[in-house]
Amino acid sequence: MIHLQLGHLGTASVFLAFGLALYATVVGALGAQRRDARLQTSARLATVATFLVAATAVAVMEAALVSNDFSVQYVANHSSIGSPLWVKIVTLWAALQGSILLWSFLLTAYTALLAFTAPLSPLRPWALAVLSAIQVFFLGVVAFLANPFHTLASPPANGPGPNALLQNNWMMAVHPVLMYLGFVGLSVPFAFAMAALITRRPGSEWMVQTRRWALTGWGFLGAAIVAGGWWSYEVLGWGGYWAWDPVENVSFMPWLTATAFIHGVQVQERRRMLKSWNVMLIALTFCLSILGTFLTRSGVISSVHAFAAGPVGPAFLAFFVAVTLFAFGLIALRWDQVRDRAELDAVVSREGGFLAGNILFLAITFTVLLGTLFPLLVEAVSGQRVTVGPPFFDQVTLPLWMLVLLLMGIGPLLPWRRAEGASLRRNLAWLAGGFVVSGGLALLLGMREIYPTLTVALAGYNLVSLGLLLGQALVPRVRLTTRSPWSVLWSYAHESRRRVGSMVAHLAIVIIALGVAFSSGYRVDQQVKIDFGKSTTFQGYTLTPVDRFMDRSAAVISSGAIVDVSKGGRHVATLRPRLNVFGSSQEPVAKPAVMYTFSHDLYLNLDNTIGPNTSYVVLRTIYSPLVSWIWFGGLLLVVGVINSLLPARRRWAESRAEAGAEETSPA
Amino acid sequence: MRRLVIVVVVVAGLAGVFLYGLLRGPPNRDVPSKLVGKPAPQFTLPLYQRYQATYGNSFSLDAHKGTPLVINFWASWCGPCFQEAPVLEAAFNKYRAQGVLFVGVQTQDHGQYDAGRKFITRFGYTFPVGLDNDSSIGVNYALFGVPETFFVNRQGIVVYKQVGPVSDTIMAKEIEAIVK
Repeated sequence: MIHLQLGHLGTASVFLAFGLALYATVVGALGAQRRDARLQTSARLATVATFLVAATAVAVMEAALVSNDFSVQYVANHSSIGSPLWVKIVTLWAALQGSILLWSFLLTAYTALLAFTAPLSPLRPWALAVLSAIQVFFLGVVAFLANPFHTLASPPANGPGPNALLQNNWMMAVHPVLMYLGFVGLSVPFAFAMAALITRRPGSEWMVQTRRWALTGWGFLGAAIVAGGWWSYEVLGWGGYWAWDPVENVSFMPWLTATAFIHGVQVQERRRMLKSWNVMLIALTFCLSILGTFLTRSGVISSVHAFAAGPVGPAFLAFFVAVTLFAFGLIALRWDQVRDRAELDAVVSREGGFLAGNILFLAITFTVLLGTLFPLLVEAVSGQRVTVGPPFFDQVTLPLWMLVLLLMGIGPLLPWRRAEGASLRRNLAWLAGGFVVSGGLALLLGMREIYPTLTVALAGYNLVSLGLLLGQALVPRVRLTTRSPWSVLWSYAHESRRRVGSMVAHLAIVIIALGVAFSSGYRVDQQVKIDFGKSTTFQGYTLTPVDRFMDRSAAVISSGAIVDVSKGGRHVATLRPRLNVFGSSQEPVAKPAVMYTFSHDLYLNLDNTIGPNTSYVVLRTIYSPLVSWIWFGGLLLVVGVINSLLPARRRWAESRAEAGAEETSPA
Repeated sequence: MRRLVIVVVVVAGLAGVFLYGLLRGPPNRDVPSKLVGKPAPQFTLPLYQRYQATYGNSFSLDAHKGTPLVINFWASWCGPCFQEAPVLEAAFNKYRAQGVLFVGVQTQDHGQYDAGRKFITRFGYTFPVGLDNDSSIGVNYALFGVPETFFVNRQGIVVYKQVGPVSDTIMAKEIEAIVK
């Protein structure tokens, strides 16, 4: 007799969810094809059932993790009794199998939500069928190739716990979830785009319906990338946040194409242009997110990140090929309908600016893709093994980024269709003023490196641009009212949410650009050896290791130094850089201690093991200017996205009034 | 139809490359070096100026027969090299008393003298370092990538090769093996 275990329940849920997704795909497509409302409704209900069953699978896994059920293989391989509760919970996405389960779950959640919130349209049945088909793939991988619910006949008493680098920081709880929410969010506009092609309705309908989804997905992906940078900053001990590693690149590429997409969308909404372009961008975004998963999970590309090569590699490759053929094949077949008929009235116009920006984003994407795949291409052709390092990426993309900043300032100030000579010249004069003044200030303050100086100049230029945009919107409003400018600004921010949201997002990009420019251009990195009780000075700070410490818990043993930081004789901080040894692993992992300030970070990483008799500490001391601006910029970006997503006050009030009217009006 | 053909051809090409990658399997970095157990290939490395007073204008392997050596290959663009640099410098300070000499070979970094100096200054390397400008030393040592570190004993025989960044534990273990 089989003793029923959590693992069995999990496996059963996964297979059931797979079956339901298959049903929703087939019946949904059939219903859409035959325009049969009953079949369509049945498929919609099936997406909800899939979601509920997938949620059960996730709940079972969480239950197994939290209750230390080591009869479940995933728990035995990746969890440990001594870990704190939060680590146990997030262990769900600490390894491949759990991550794909989470991804599938989020996909079912989005699909179910969409099934009930998307307005009835000819596109909806097909879009749901496409999303269900994507679910079939992911749930199939979980069920057949990477089932985390395999049970062990003789379970171990304890497990090793998740990868030490992941346990080292709470960011591990956040970054992957944001990433999957981003990828999944962007698959919604993809599904609608495909539905539009299938139904031969390649107008703007699909785009308008999924504008919010696209923006949400894009916002999550952006937040995930910044969070990932912060994680690597807080954990890896080299004081950096981005190394152009393949793992980073593959999350960056879909974000770049999605950025191009959310800008292209506006041109199509406004001018009915860039139709084919937008369809291709969203298809590219989705294909790149699958490609990225394939590249990082198959071991095809060597990376400093160690990934176990599992059976999912070939599956993701097959899916990538299928999706790319499907999407771009469909675009090719429908080319006559998606092709743009309108022509650009003038290059110097809002749409011209958008188009140029999009080309830049695609150029950056292509550069990153080439750099990432180049070693593989060369090896396939010539058998040589080569490595492409950051110099390539920096040298090629930095000029493009500068152009992006340049366009970001002028683009929003250009009118649609054609720019008027006089107002264009006036705006350009203002922008040039901002560029010259801030660039000049940078030079006066002693900046000489080309890119950081240029970034400062362009930041000034962009601030002027934002000021002009805000001024153009607010000045007439203030003149028409007796209210204070602040209250006008407040109501403007609520009424024109998209406009203000985009300004906030652009401001966030300026802030991030400054953070990147300064922290990479002007960081100071030294290694010092200090005896306990003695002091050393570093960038105006006096560092004194006053004592050693050792913390022991069931999950982790930390040992490190207590370093007193003072400036001009005044105590400013006490930092505790340490080495952590997690569970049964032998290698200690350094955990840097960071003093965050507005203008710079002081980052200490411990480079020697501290025992009871150690008389000195070896510290890697890093002074990194403006680095926290990157994290703040990331946060601001999210604020901008949220502001764009919220319904405008006026429209909101109207819709509430309408709803009220419906309730009161006689049937 | 023509467009469809283009799409199919492009996707098939991409798929071919990836399939090759899959069939090749994950790049194996643990290939035991053919050099292990063999004499370390001779090289002469022009040193950065700051080391010339102490170690001479160039470092020649022949001139250091009988000295246990740690030969570290790095590049200014390589992330893991930054990661391991403090470990190397700390290990050199710790073991130099036992007669071990380290030598840093900056390689796959053609013409990057400034970047090399910046790196050395950043980590305060006290052992001799030079730029292998045409990467020929790297070729003779059959580098897979950077960083790689070779441990050479008093007889001039390569005892161990580390691919990827070194750690305190590896340094302790392998240096013990070469000072014997």
